[in-house]
Amino acid sequence: MDTFLQQLANGLTIGSIFALVALGYTMVYGVMRLINFAHGDMVAASAFVGLTVYTQVMGQTTSLFSVIVIFLLTASVMACVGVLLERLAYRPLRDAPRLSAVVSALGASLVIQNGIMLIWGPRMKIFPELVPQVYWDLGGVVISLIQVIILALSLVLMVGLYLFIEKTRMGAAVRASSIDQDAARLMGINVNSVIALIFIIGSSLGAIGGLFIGMYYRGITFNMGWQYGLYAFIAAIIGGIGNIPGAMMGGMLLGLFNAFIAGYISSTWADAFTFILLILILIVRPTGILGERVAEKV
Amino acid sequence: MKALQRFSYPIFFVMLAVIPHLLNPRWQAVSITFLIFAVVALSQDIILGKSGMFNMGQALFFGMGAYTTAILNNHFGWPIIATIPMAILIPALFGILLAGPIVHLRGDYLLVVTIGFNIVFVQVLQNNLGGLTGGPNGIFGLGSLSIFGLNLTSQIAVYYFAFIVFLLTLWIMHNLEKSKAGRAMHYLREDQLAAESIGINTRSYKIFAFGLGAGIAGLAGTVFAVQYSAVSPEAFEFIQSVLFFSIVLVGGSSVPGILLGVFVMFVLPEIFREFATWRYFIFGFAMILSMILRPRGIWPATFGKIPKFLIKESKNGA
Repeated sequence: MDTFLQQLANGLTIGSIFALVALGYTMVYGVMRLINFAHGDMVAASAFVGLTVYTQVMGQTTSLFSVIVIFLLTASVMACVGVLLERLAYRPLRDAPRLSAVVSALGASLVIQNGIMLIWGPRMKIFPELVPQVYWDLGGVVISLIQVIILALSLVLMVGLYLFIEKTRMGAAVRASSIDQDAARLMGINVNSVIALIFIIGSSLGAIGGLFIGMYYRGITFNMGWQYGLYAFIAAIIGGIGNIPGAMMGGMLLGLFNAFIAGYISSTWADAFTFILLILILIVRPTGILGERVAEKV
Repeated sequence: MKALQRFSYPIFFVMLAVIPHLLNPRWQAVSITFLIFAVVALSQDIILGKSGMFNMGQALFFGMGAYTTAILNNHFGWPIIATIPMAILIPALFGILLAGPIVHLRGDYLLVVTIGFNIVFVQVLQNNLGGLTGGPNGIFGLGSLSIFGLNLTSQIAVYYFAFIVFLLTLWIMHNLEKSKAGRAMHYLREDQLAAESIGINTRSYKIFAFGLGAGIAGLAGTVFAVQYSAVSPEAFEFIQSVLFFSIVLVGGSSVPGILLGVFVMFVLPEIFREFATWRYFIFGFAMILSMILRPRGIWPATFGKIPKFLIKESKNGA
């Protein structure tokens, strides 16, 4: 039982990181029908940007104020990178065959990943201890302050995003563009700015996910983006791609699944089991558990 | 163009046939690598380029062929030459079995599932399943190639082995294009609905494409195992599949385009060794740029016997 509760806590923590990253994938796919392969590497890059902000801008202090500055600054830097990425690598290919955009996304992924390596070096870096190491022992289950922060902040962000998409005019524009871009354009929606908006939101959420990865696992490497990116993308698919609550649920499910595999079977098989789960879900229910929310163009 | 084609291919083949005698051992090894990866890229083209299925797991079949040869040779003492049929059959069979339940998936889902297969495969190799795959270090110390008691240990012999496999692959691709199956696959890629409506069994041709591509990649795996006399999991990581995927699409799914892509990805880095750390950074930019400038690839394929006025109509199709 203790293992179960412990892995439940760990699973919810990684699950919320997966969910934050998955939101970036699912929103971009919803509007552009494109797997943004560079998103995972942007997440990795944001951990490194956070590290640099910590050492260069904040002078290695860990007050609440400096943590807030690190989060805001990193998220804004990554939002700019995201918009730039869309502008340079994806917009010119919007009317091209779909596979061309996929190759462009793969190219962008290679550029960002190896850009991190060229700037920060190929060796693992240690992310600063931004949050004091406080642990609570709840009858055999150890929960750390950082897990509570990650879970709480992710939930707030996800609920905020959900309300934004469902309740505001801009959110309605995003939903309209993912149903039918041409019709949305005819209704006076500026699809280009909608796309810029989803890249801003997706990249900043991904950046926060990347900082969480740094804070939780401490060791960050230039090529860790593929791993988290793939997991988050699987989470988006499991929840039904283009479906925002689905991505949140998929991330949580995948985090829990992973934690239980690691806890009860073996962490060396975690990737294999995750993909087998994905393959089974896709065979049984090809559009994810909650169903996809993208209109299919025939 | 026709005349150019008529002369350029024989010249190219003659060049490839004499080139190992003009090179030092290091460049001989590079040319062998070129031939091996060219075969894998062409086999990927059968699945991705010719039939239009988003397969990003070709390194799986390549690795399966290499591991079949290595395991049969190292653990069971088969001569290399006897492992070749198995190194073709086992990946082909797996290609068919894996493709069966997934070919109906739409493009991007298929892409993610094939990535998944590749990652599961590498994890199985690393965890040394059944004590056969040798774990993260792989298997080393394979026997050398020998035919009819003739021991072919020299690098030139391996080169000609790779060259024969390469020619065989080109011949299969050439025949495929003129065959019923090749035409069916082409229609399938252009418009699946239309293909189905004129009575093409799309499902079985899709599975056929997977089986054929997997078998050829497996054969390339045997050549790989012979060349390095070792196999290890990292040679078949999913990043390799990404490279083959990109080579086919950047090349434009035509033989010259794919060969050019293989040359750029695997031979140029050997020439510019001092830029090794910049390699993927530059490739990434090149991939984005080439797609923006030439969305259908650097050297787009044209399909055999379709009259020109028909091809014009479908130019804008995906």
